[in-house]
Amino acid sequence: MTVRTIEVRERVMAKNDEIAARVRARLAAAGVPAFNLVSSPGSGKTLLLERTLAELGSEMRIAVVTGDVQTQNDADRLARHTDQLVQAVVTNGACHLDARQIETALDAVDLAATDLLFIENVGNLVCPAGWDLGETAKIALFSVTEGEDKPEKYPKMFRMAQWVVFTKLDLLPHVPFSLTHAVDIAKAVNPTLDFLMTSAVDPGGMEEWLGFCRAHARRGVSV
Amino acid sequence: MHEMSVALEVCRMAEERLGSDASRLVALGVTVGDDAGIEPENLAFCLEALLEEPPFEGAEPRILREPGDGLHLSYLEVIDDDSSND
Repeated sequence: MTVRTIEVRERVMAKNDEIAARVRARLAAAGVPAFNLVSSPGSGKTLLLERTLAELGSEMRIAVVTGDVQTQNDADRLARHTDQLVQAVVTNGACHLDARQIETALDAVDLAATDLLFIENVGNLVCPAGWDLGETAKIALFSVTEGEDKPEKYPKMFRMAQWVVFTKLDLLPHVPFSLTHAVDIAKAVNPTLDFLMTSAVDPGGMEEWLGFCRAHARRGVSV
Repeated sequence: MHEMSVALEVCRMAEERLGSDASRLVALGVTVGDDAGIEPENLAFCLEALLEEPPFEGAEPRILREPGDGLHLSYLEVIDDDSSND
């Protein structure tokens, strides 16, 4: 009996990244931009998407894949605001979505009839940072009821994201949160970040975000 | 927090490599970067549990640290039954 060592040196994420590349190619072929929304639980991902679907539903066709550890509650909430497909992924305990789940979910989405795709990740600032889903970009939501130092505490997520959407700005007068301080901390972690300010309840609080969606939807959509 | 997902993927990779030889696996080495966002002891614990299950028969997980954020299945150690060659 002899012990033999087999050198492997293979990235653990290789398979996920291979599937993510497939998803990315499929989305690119269909011309559909896809944004992966990530944040802590309770930062307002679902409400932001509810308002987005309600406001833009007559202008463009938005599909959503929404992941939750348990329940389809978010998918049910979102489905009330759109005739487009809302695809629920229940991760059954897993703390993130992976590329395989997105690839499967997309089988049910008519990409030719989709102008913009949102993936609502599991509420978690740690694990979703490690899984490429084939998205165009990650967008991190950051609510003003959280600590300003979130980007410092979860640097990987804020390094992976291209945009930060501040949410719940209507609550700013009631919480000890400095927006400029939070922006400084986020920029220290990732200088290339861009920032969008939102309130899902204030009149006009969605305008900047809706403008972002209009600018990034599949080209050729009349706005 | 996602160590179990990583452990499952490591086992899948090992099984893919070894095929019917998976039962002969005695150890596997996983390189975990300091900034990989993986808790090494937790990963070892998850791997230990999974490597008790078929097609494995109790292989030992070895966690190797390195700088950076890499995460690799580094090597597999299998026992070759060479008695038939004697």
